[in-house]
Amino acid sequence: MIRRFTGFCIVIFGVLLLTFLLIHLVPGDPVEVMLGESASLADRAVLRDDLGLNQPIIYQFGHYLNKLAHADFGQSIHTKTPIIELIKTRYPATLKLAFLSLLIGLSIGIPMGIYAALKAGKWQDLIVTLVSVRLSAMPAFWLGPMLMLIFAVWLGWVPVSGMESNASIILPALTLGFGLSAILTRMTRTSLLEVLSDDYIRTARAKGLTESNVIVRHALRAALLPIITIVGLQMGSLLAGTVITETIFSWDGIGRLLVESIEKRDYPVTQACVLVVALSYVLVNLLTDMLYRLADPRVKFAH
Amino acid sequence: MKVFNVFTAFFLILLLATASSCGQKSTITQVNRDIIFAIGQAPLNLDPRYATDAASERVNRLIYQSLVDFDTQSKPIPSLATWVTISPTEYRFTLKRNCAPFHHVPNSVQTFLTAHDVKATYDSFTIIKDSPHAAEFDNIKNIIVTDGRTVVFHLKQPDSHFPAKLIIGILPAKLIAMDQDFSHAPVGNGPLKLVAWRNQLNLVRVSDGQKISLLEVKDPTVRVLKLLHGEADVLQGELPPELVKYLQTKPDVIVKTNRGANFSYLGLNMQDPVLKNLKVRQAIAHAIDRDAIIQKVMVANTRVASAILPPEHYTNQHPLPIYEYKPALAKQLLLEAGIKLPLKLVYKTSTDAQRVRFATIMQAQMLLAGIDLEIRSLDWGTFFEDVKQGNFQLYGLTWVGIKTPEIYDKAFGSNSIPPNGFNRGRYADSELDQLLLDENWQAATARIHSQLPYIPLWYEGQFAAMRKEIHNFSPKPDGNWDDLATISRYAH
Repeated sequence: MIRRFTGFCIVIFGVLLLTFLLIHLVPGDPVEVMLGESASLADRAVLRDDLGLNQPIIYQFGHYLNKLAHADFGQSIHTKTPIIELIKTRYPATLKLAFLSLLIGLSIGIPMGIYAALKAGKWQDLIVTLVSVRLSAMPAFWLGPMLMLIFAVWLGWVPVSGMESNASIILPALTLGFGLSAILTRMTRTSLLEVLSDDYIRTARAKGLTESNVIVRHALRAALLPIITIVGLQMGSLLAGTVITETIFSWDGIGRLLVESIEKRDYPVTQACVLVVALSYVLVNLLTDMLYRLADPRVKFAH
Repeated sequence: MKVFNVFTAFFLILLLATASSCGQKSTITQVNRDIIFAIGQAPLNLDPRYATDAASERVNRLIYQSLVDFDTQSKPIPSLATWVTISPTEYRFTLKRNCAPFHHVPNSVQTFLTAHDVKATYDSFTIIKDSPHAAEFDNIKNIIVTDGRTVVFHLKQPDSHFPAKLIIGILPAKLIAMDQDFSHAPVGNGPLKLVAWRNQLNLVRVSDGQKISLLEVKDPTVRVLKLLHGEADVLQGELPPELVKYLQTKPDVIVKTNRGANFSYLGLNMQDPVLKNLKVRQAIAHAIDRDAIIQKVMVANTRVASAILPPEHYTNQHPLPIYEYKPALAKQLLLEAGIKLPLKLVYKTSTDAQRVRFATIMQAQMLLAGIDLEIRSLDWGTFFEDVKQGNFQLYGLTWVGIKTPEIYDKAFGSNSIPPNGFNRGRYADSELDQLLLDENWQAATARIHSQLPYIPLWYEGQFAAMRKEIHNFSPKPDGNWDDLATISRYAH
């Protein structure tokens, strides 16, 4: 665990250093973003001095780390909002959307995958395969507006977009969840098929266990490892913010904030968003490792 | 198969829960009692001393009032105050008697706007160091309040356009002293007052309590869907023309159009060895069929442009000729300039779909004139940075909301080359500098038109689409949202 935590700290430090350097290397000047093109050279010099931009880059990085240690991300250049406030409002929205999408993906993907594996080679398997291939081939920028048109405009069941009501989350979650379910269906089917041909499954069946017992207690548990890997990776992406879905559905999440800050050259916001995204990835990976151990005790012994 | 059944049951429960949430129609109806204005870009900052983006400036015009406004010819006219020029460096402003009070702030006494508020607002530019507007007011030497309604501005240098610069919304002096966060909690004395700002900007009209919400919906197709579904009542501009035409066919929607005043152009790098040559610039001007582009892919009321300021502007009394589409002449001009055809040029634009479409059409048109145009579509930040750094041959942009002829000095004066101004093409012309110094705007406009540091394109028509129960709203030439002060909803 200590080794893992050390690795975690090194990754985060690396991310901090890289984003800091990248932000300082890309073309563009925060002073010009703030003051505009008509500011006098004297005014620019004063502001540059105030912001500490004349200091050596090592000193600036140290100052940045010191502020971070005090949970001070600074403020947005354009909106003058404390960045911690932006993160506090945007990240929960992304979390909410990510978890519901994951739930939808798991609820559809795993049963469909199991069903396809049990009916392997039959017409039911073919249909599930076709559906999952279709779902994975539908990009969010197409699927999102289609869902809006059908469920919001034609049927009037849910709002088109926004975050004004509880029902607003349904369409973006379905858009993300369908894509995820397609991947999980394929992965569950393949993984389960491999396990179902193993000797111990034949033994379990020979012992007279019911089919559901064989699937749940023996086959599915063994097939879970690759599924957990995929879920972990997908969850990391969802927590990083799914920019297209968030934009189409006017969902104020972290991904949209990150892209907007890059477009507007709002450097402090970009830095903070990248840090939050990196932390999410690392934490999800850590969680995935822990789930491995729960799913398969042999992983624990190997360590 | 029990496992499968358990999963199926779980999914069905999830769907049922989803469906029950869908049944919360009352929530949607509740939201729609306000007048919902769907916009492509939310305001960034509601402190008028900091706001530079179009959305913030449009909202700030409604929350605050300024000393000066503009008439239809863009001449400065009194808004909160009338003024007298005492000397070239001295202006006296007298507040009107019927100025509205500042919006009421909870736990405080409501106050009326006085000359002290005017002084505090403009004095604050000397204190705040990161305001993009501060440079505009560097010329103020001091501000003297002579009585509760009168304030005198003393300038360091004469400036005949000074009144036209006093368009910053006036803030309460008391709250400035208390370091109020006007960016998120604005207090003005305009027709609309901010109530809340979370996912949307909730405003209320002071005169009758009508609630108006500004909702950011970035995707144009989604804005249209929201209007059709009744989740939005009004939207204005920023739609491709095919969506506007589609909306015109819908019985529940009314589309209104108006002529525009925002100037679109091609910027040229005057330090480029090829583009330095006037004949090449003339060739480019004659290689674009503006009429065809306007007719095919732009909204109604779009006009061909010949100068930054539109024909109705007070400085634009004598209309300038239009560069007509003559590909043969363009080719001839290029050959006269000693260019080996095809002439390869790089055109930079943003990733906006409509801008890329214009670029593609111009690319096809220019090919007939012997110009091989390469399009580079860049994200806004990179594109604008390249433009400011002079890292381009050709670029396309639009000037929005320009009112004063000083723009010619800022965009073409040789003393305005970055980092000192907006002369991004690095154009240096002593003859033009002299005309600008003399404030001979007509001659300056003609000189710019003949020398072509910009290739003028068009003033894009303005339009607004609204549900049929919405009244008293129409689009304005510069795209402002002033009619939100009068908009109303009637039941049919």
